[in-house]
Formats: sequence, structure tokens, C-alpha cells
Amino acid sequence: MGTPPDPSLALCARDVRKSFQIGGREIEVLHGAHLELKCGERLCLMGASGAGKSTFLHVLGLLEEPTEGEVWLQGKSAWTLSMADRAALRNRHIGFVFQAYYLLPDLSALENVVLPVRIAHSYGSVRFNKSRHEAEAAELLTKFGLGERLRHRPNQLSGGERQRVAVARALILGPEILIADEPTGNLDTGTGERVLDLILDEQRERALSLLLVTHDQRLSRRCDRTLIMEDGQIQADSTVVIPQ
Amino acid sequence: MYRRFLSWRYLLRRPINLIGVTGITVGVGALIMIISIMSGFLEESRQTVRGSLADVVVQPTILPRSDGTFVPREAEPLLEALDADPRVAAASPHLTWGAMVTQGGWDAAQTEHRIKDPDRSDLVFAQLVGVDVAREFQATDLRRALEHESEFGSRVDDVEHPFARPASYDGEEPWAWIVVGEQLAQIHDLHKGSVVNLVTAMPDSLTGKAYPSNRKYLVAGTFRTGENEIDASRIYMDRWELSDFLSDQRQYTQVLVKLVDYAAVRDTIEADLGRELHDLGLLNSARSGEVRTWESYRRSLLGAIENERALMGVMLGLIILVAAFTVFAILMMMVTEKRRDIGILTALGATRRSILSIFLMIGMWNALLGSTLGAILGVLGAWRIDQIERWLSSTFHVQIFDRTVYLFDHIPAQVSPLIVVSTVIGALFFTALFSSIPAWLASRTHPIDALRAE
Ligand SMILES: Nc1ncnc2c1ncn2[C@@H]1O[C@H](COP(=O)(O)OP(=O)(O)OP(=O)(O)O)[C@@H](O)[C@H]1O
Ligand SMILES: [Mg+2]
Repeated sequence: MGTPPDPSLALCARDVRKSFQIGGREIEVLHGAHLELKCGERLCLMGASGAGKSTFLHVLGLLEEPTEGEVWLQGKSAWTLSMADRAALRNRHIGFVFQAYYLLPDLSALENVVLPVRIAHSYGSVRFNKSRHEAEAAELLTKFGLGERLRHRPNQLSGGERQRVAVARALILGPEILIADEPTGNLDTGTGERVLDLILDEQRERALSLLLVTHDQRLSRRCDRTLIMEDGQIQADSTVVIPQ
Repeated sequence: MYRRFLSWRYLLRRPINLIGVTGITVGVGALIMIISIMSGFLEESRQTVRGSLADVVVQPTILPRSDGTFVPREAEPLLEALDADPRVAAASPHLTWGAMVTQGGWDAAQTEHRIKDPDRSDLVFAQLVGVDVAREFQATDLRRALEHESEFGSRVDDVEHPFARPASYDGEEPWAWIVVGEQLAQIHDLHKGSVVNLVTAMPDSLTGKAYPSNRKYLVAGTFRTGENEIDASRIYMDRWELSDFLSDQRQYTQVLVKLVDYAAVRDTIEADLGRELHDLGLLNSARSGEVRTWESYRRSLLGAIENERALMGVMLGLIILVAAFTVFAILMMMVTEKRRDIGILTALGATRRSILSIFLMIGMWNALLGSTLGAILGVLGAWRIDQIERWLSSTFHVQIFDRTVYLFDHIPAQVSPLIVVSTVIGALFFTALFSSIPAWLASRTHPIDALRAE
């Protein structure tokens, strides 16, 4: 196990390798990827389709175990922790926004947003109070322009509305890190633009460490840094610092 | 907590769970209701099956004991031991023997006719029971049987002294007096003051031959126990008179014991009393069944009903098993259907244990709702079975319970809390068992695989 990284890093990945078993053959998708996400930084990750961006994000988001390598956050090497500790870490410190929203269809928008708080309650890290947390969630949703949609179920919402609910859910517990995998990929340009504005506004307001995967060149210009992933590796020379 | 919230939500949002709940309701309800009714039948039948049997009968074997001694031929040592026993409320010695009832004079032809008729010949044979009246009144229901007013019989003049010469008798006959069963009196057309001739035979312990003896008796009156068999065949007389009739070969054959609290000692009294009396030299052996409770006399009958109840329990338990299996199938379906949700929950920080408990809880909601509803319906059904049956009969004009077949005019039911509780626990257990497989599968779901599946 390596040494703990600089505490100014919100997230740090070292030499991450990941292979999948496909039809008896082992195929390595990530060939030793590095990443350092500074606190309060907007980091954009780009790359060709199939380059392994999503896979890398899943490893960073503690959803997919790497074959090799380590992921540090909160001063801990996350993949050496027990499964339950890692789940608690994921719950409390990482917000994840997926391309396909991934809301629970049986819960209303409001209930979906409150769900992470309920889960946090089971770890004892938050004391769940239904009226207080629902009010909090309603406030967030109202801010996102969904004040009239609180009791709607996901299938009664448009794509853009669903993604805004998903963003609210990712932020409700106030995580330090927000990981977004092509959050606008399923949306038309106008709608995507608004969702993205909302994410970036929140990032600034909350001083979040944002890791964003996108195919959109214009978007990378709104980030502090852009990394390029190519064939399972972060290109060493790809770091582009774009002044605001 | 969110596990309860989510499992409950999933339950409500999937109407298919109704099938699981209904299945368990039917299984639990039917089991409780049927078992309660069978228990009712059993209890009711016990009363019928028991009849006038004493709590415990002590019947020493007269063969030599292993130490070469014999049990006393007098009843007194045994009675003394029993009287001293705190568990015993009363004890009454019986001398029981068989005899043939014949009549002389005009009635001789009648007797002959009865003996020749294969359908009636058994009616000629009677069971002679010699009793000590005072003790008998303490230990059995003889007094009530004697006091019974009936259309065929005739009460003895003095219930306290049933074998005494009735004050109303003005005949000359010198014979001893007996009391006969009401139906026996009717068969033989006996009245107060009738003379009967009892014929019996007694094996001689020395020669091994049986010597017949016969003696005339006078009928002092009749008794009615309400039990056909006894009222048609039993004759009571004084124990010393019967002993004398039997050439003093035996003084008693068994002692009927009434216990202070039968229910408290029913399972232990045979062994305990058997050992204690044997140690006192009053029984032939400690474990040869010389002490028997009424239940052990009726073991096969009671056992048959109890077996039936157990069998019914097993068969209805299968319904619960099938219902639990339905829950298993429903959960398997839900786990497949909710694969993506499992991925999402994991991504939000749910542990494997939580995923497992969510699905386990869905199963348990099914079981809890079903068994609660089933228990309520089952208990209500058992309590109201009579009304339900009458209503069904009158509405659909079919007779479900034929009241003429049974000795009771209502459908008996006895709801035992133990049965209700164990049925509910059984339903919960089997559902938990069956739910654990899909729940475990759910907990093994890889979050990313689940999310990718579309
Ligand atoms: N669970 C898996 N099993 C097998 N192969 C996988 C699995 N997950 C990803 N892969 C493979 O790994 C490679 C990288 O996939 P990944 O989804 O990370 O790419 P990506 O960079 O996110 O592409 P896109 O921009 O299209 O989203 C692909 O070739 C994919 O087929
Ligand atoms: Mg991707």
C-alpha cells in the first residue's frame, strides 16, 4: 500500500488497472491510470468512446473494484476498507450523477432525493428527521426549478427534470466530491445546458471537487483542467489548464 | 430504517404480493380453524369415550410376585395405602365377575329363546359388580345412576342402602338384593321384587377345574348411567355377597381411584403409583400396567382422533409451505425486476446486508400480513363455525355437518393459543427460509452489472 497523498487532494488514484473476463479471456480496460483531484477543483475527463472513462469513474466512485491500484479519499485507501466502510464512504462523501439518471421508479422525486439521508441514518452518520430532511430536499428541488414536481414519480418527469432530481440526490448529503459521467449525454443541447449550469453553479457555491466526463469540447473550457483518457490510461501530457 | 421504508413501498407497489399474502392467509387460517375444530371434536369425544371410567384403576395381578409372595387377597391393605395418598380423593374396591341371567317359571322359555337367538344371546350375559356402597358413592357416579328417574326402570326405595330389603316388599323370598341396569331390566322384563337366577363358574386354583354355581337374587331396583353398554349388562350387588357367591375365591378384582387433580398428574401417575404400591407389596410388578388411567384404557380410540388431528396439521401445514413457496417465486421475480434498483441503492451507499434485509423484509411483510389476517380469520372462523355452517347449509341447501351422526348438536371448536402462535411462527419461519434465497441472490448483485443491464 502506498503512502497517503497530499491532503489538499480530494481524490487520488494511483496506477489503477482493471480487467474484465469476457468469454474466458481477460481483457484489461484500464492500464495503470493516475488521477489527482484537488479540493474545489473542476476536472474534466474526455476521451474516445470505449477508452475506459466510465470504468475509471466507477473505480473512483467505489463501485467497481480495480484489479490493481489504489484510490484515496478522506485520508483512506478506499479499496482496502471493509465493504461496509466503503459503502459508508460512498454514501457520505461521493455524489454520483449518471448519464441514465438512475432514479428509483417507485419513489417520488422528493423521496428519491431524501433516500441517501435515510441510508446515512443506517450508518448513524446522520440522524434522519423526515420533516426536516424532506423540507431540505424540497428546497433544493425548488431551487432546481422542480418545486411543482416534488410528488411526481420519475416516469412522470422529463429527462432534464429527472437529471435535476438525480443531481439533487447526489448533493443532499453535502459530499465533498461530485462525479458526473456524461450527465447531459441523454439530453438535448438546450436541456443539457441548463442541467450543466446547475451542476457548475452548485460546484462553485459548495466548493465541490467535481470530476466530469463529457464528449463536449465547449464544456471542457468551463473546467479548471481537462484530462484525456486514451486506451485505459490518462495521457501524461493531456493536462490542459484553461484560465477562467 | 430505509430498509423498512423501501421494502414496504415495494410491497405496496407490487400487487402480485397479494397472492403471497392471500396464500399465507388461507394456509394459516385453514390450519388454525381445522385444528381448532378437530381439538373441539377430540375434547367432546373424550367425554363420550371416557364414559363412567374412573380416573385410575388399580388391578393387581394375582400371580405370584418375583419374590415368591402374593399380593394380599383382601382389598383393605391397598385401600389403606390409597387413602393415605395425598393425590387420591377416594378409592372404591370392585369385585367384577361374569354371569348368565336366567329366569325360572313362566320366564324360563323366554330365557331359552334368548339364548338360542344369535342376535340376542349376548344380552343374557351380565357383568356382576360387587361394591362397598359408601366408598362407591365417594369414588364414582353410582349415586346419580341410582337416583335417576326413568320411564322403564324403578328407583330403589333407599338410595343410601340399595341392597337392603325394600320397605315396600311384602314377599317371602329370602334371597339377597341386587340393582340391575335399566336396559337389562327392560330386556328381561324385571321389576322391583322380580327373582332372577344368576349362573356363573369359578376356576378352582387347586384342581384347575371350573365349578359352576348359581344363586337366586331379588331385584331391588334399577340404575341408569346413560351409557348403553353398562345399562344393558351390569348388575350391582354387595361385594361380600358376590364374594360369597364366588365361594370366597376373590374378595376384590380392582380398585377404582378418584384423584384430587387428574390433569396435574395424568402423565406420571401410572408409573409413580405403580412403583409405590409395588414397593408396598400390593402389586405384582412395578411396570406391568396394573395401574392404569382411563386414558390408557381408551388409548387406541383417543390415539386415533389425535393421529387424525396431527395428520390434518401436517397436510394443512403443506398449504403454508406452498404459500411460502409462492412468496419465494414472487421475490425471485422482484429481484430480477429490481436489479437496477439494487445497483442504484448500492451506488448510494447501501450495503449487501441492507439489500438482503430489504428483500427478506418484503417476504416477511407477506408472512406477517398473511399470518395475522389468517390467525384472525381462523380464530373467528373456529368460534363462529356453527353459524357459518348453518348459514352455508341454509343458503346452498346442502348439509355439511350432519348433527344426527354425532353425539353433539353443534360443531365443537377449541382454540388453543399454542396452536395459533405456533402456526404463525411456522408461517413466519418458512417464509423467512424461502425468502432468504432470493434475498441472498439480491445481495450478491454487482452494482455496475446491475446498472448496465437495460
Ligand atoms: N462489465 C464489463 N464487462 C466487460 N467489459 C466491460 C465492462 N465494463 C466495460 N467494459 C469494456 O471496457 C471498455 C471501456 O468501457 P467504458 O464504458 O469504460 O468506456 P467509456 O470510455 O465510458 O465509453 P463511452 O464514452 O462510450 O461511455 C469497453 O470496451 C467496454 O466494452
Ligand atoms: Mg461511458
